Amino acid sequence: MKQFKLLVLLLILFAGCSGNNQKSDEPKKVAIVVSTLNNPWFVFLAETAAKKAKELGYESKIFDSQNNTALESDHFENALASGYDAILFNPTDAAGSVSNVEKAKKAEIPVFCMDREINSRTAATSQILSDSYSACVELGKLFVDTLQKKGQYVELLGIVSDNNTWNRSKGFHSVVDNFPNLKMVAQQSADFDRNKAMEVMESILQAHPQIDGVFCGNDAMAMGAIQALVAAGKSHVKVFGFDGSEDAVIAVSEGKLAATAMQYPKDIAEKAATFAHEYFGGKRDFPQKLPIAVDVVNKSNIDQFTAYGKKE
Amino acid sequence: MDISQYRSKLARFQSSIALFVLCLALSILSDKFLTPENGWNILRQTSVNVCISVGMTLVVLTAGIDLSVGAVLALSGAVAAGLLKTGIELPSNDLFVGFTLLGTIVVGLITGSFLGFFNGWVITRFKVPPFVATLAMLTIARGFTMLWTKGYPISGLGPNFAFIGTGWFLGVPVLVWIALIVVVVAVIISNKTAFGRYIYAIGGNESAAKLSGIDIGKVKVLVYTIAGALAAVGGIMVTSRLDSAQPNAGMGYELDSIAAVVIGGTSLSGGRGSIMGTVLGALIIGVLNNGLVLLDVSPFWQQVVKGLVILLAVIIDKVNSKAE
Repeated sequence: MKQFKLLVLLLILFAGCSGNNQKSDEPKKVAIVVSTLNNPWFVFLAETAAKKAKELGYESKIFDSQNNTALESDHFENALASGYDAILFNPTDAAGSVSNVEKAKKAEIPVFCMDREINSRTAATSQILSDSYSACVELGKLFVDTLQKKGQYVELLGIVSDNNTWNRSKGFHSVVDNFPNLKMVAQQSADFDRNKAMEVMESILQAHPQIDGVFCGNDAMAMGAIQALVAAGKSHVKVFGFDGSEDAVIAVSEGKLAATAMQYPKDIAEKAATFAHEYFGGKRDFPQKLPIAVDVVNKSNIDQFTAYGKKE
Repeated sequence: MDISQYRSKLARFQSSIALFVLCLALSILSDKFLTPENGWNILRQTSVNVCISVGMTLVVLTAGIDLSVGAVLALSGAVAAGLLKTGIELPSNDLFVGFTLLGTIVVGLITGSFLGFFNGWVITRFKVPPFVATLAMLTIARGFTMLWTKGYPISGLGPNFAFIGTGWFLGVPVLVWIALIVVVVAVIISNKTAFGRYIYAIGGNESAAKLSGIDIGKVKVLVYTIAGALAAVGGIMVTSRLDSAQPNAGMGYELDSIAAVVIGGTSLSGGRGSIMGTVLGALIIGVLNNGLVLLDVSPFWQQVVKGLVILLAVIIDKVNSKAE
């Protein structure tokens, strides 16, 4: 009896599958695979992609890789098996995600990378990239100007096993390290976390009460650092963030945060969805890499910006 | 006094000795360590972990474990912050429910208590191992936190709410007062009440406790409820301190809390340990976190050092318990 039930269940499953394959007038399905949903920036990226896909008349589903390439691989296999027609993809790791994209290519499902790139020029149909490294080069230049090329500063790193952490840090240092009078007195990790950043900053301030600037790998850490600085009566210290989150945009307009980098997740996600739409329409010649500009946001241009983008 | 007696005396004070040695070493290595301001920093930073770890100690004493405290902390804090910031709108009959500060805190605490109660219920009613039940709750509470916050932080909660996290009362930070009250109440409960004795009895030998007429299910459910409530207290503290409920708040706090319990000499197999040991354990972790940053030790090495300290604490504990 039990075996019979199982057989019926299997039959229903297969019937369901074959039904799926024969669709033609059903809406096409788009899988959105993002590295993590534990960070508002990526939530916004995924939601915008889903919204745009819906506007264009497609079904979509968001998959959360939880910063884990193995889980990401499962998502790709599931998406390919359940008949998705395109994948809008935010890779977890430049090297580790390549094989997943190649799997999709083999199955002739187009993949459009969003924000982060993969180390392959052939696997993805197109890569819409926002380059953390060059954004931090720009932030580094502003940092040098704001501190007038001298002083002591602190760097708060993100999660030390995350490649974004180091892209941002390296971009920043490629500029700032050329100025010998700018001295980094502490470089600590606060895991992209607001609470951790506040605690680490409180401790650093005990060891180095005389600092002039803080560079943070994301806005959440910048907000935490600001709270520690304000509590210690050191609101004159210039704090730099990265992301362009709602809290950060408000903090820049209030003069609490010196600057942040705006990466335009809305533009990236909408572009990726639009590319998928054009692909379904028959277009095949997409740019392999499409860089989306990153803007530095500070007091001088803050009135043009809102959370995660420009005011409309 | 023979050696084994001497040893067990020493074991009772091992956490205090470790904390003292650590503080001594750090004061020699950094002249910034032993200042009043840094002392308050450490106490403030430790207060959240102390609250969570007190609940964890009670759970571990019953030979259980609660992996959901970090996630419960996040959800309780987010619920309180969301209600304070926007209230609840009931679109069906155009009803808007606003919340007072006290109201949001109470609802936050009820949220945590309920999740803890649910843990205890699943564990006792269906005999699910605590590790599995609370691991499931970790995921469930994280999911609800994402649903409630939609993945974005809830910020700008106002100066009254921020007083809990940043204010001072009689020359001591409010956060430290909260931790102090939690510890005092927990010490009294665990040492002076029948309920406290039951907790130790269950962890020591569950079948013996059952035979002596203790309602094991009831005690366990209450213990997990307390752990949930204290995680919620931690959630309110963190949210108030940051003036913001972060969707990923409390990530990994269960590990810090288990570490505090273990370093404090409470046995993971239950029945043996104390609240004060855990407080010392939490302080050791807090001092270590602070000291490693003061000395600007590389973040890579910090992880290694913290892991080694936990390992050392457990090994010393094992050696001592064998001696007894």
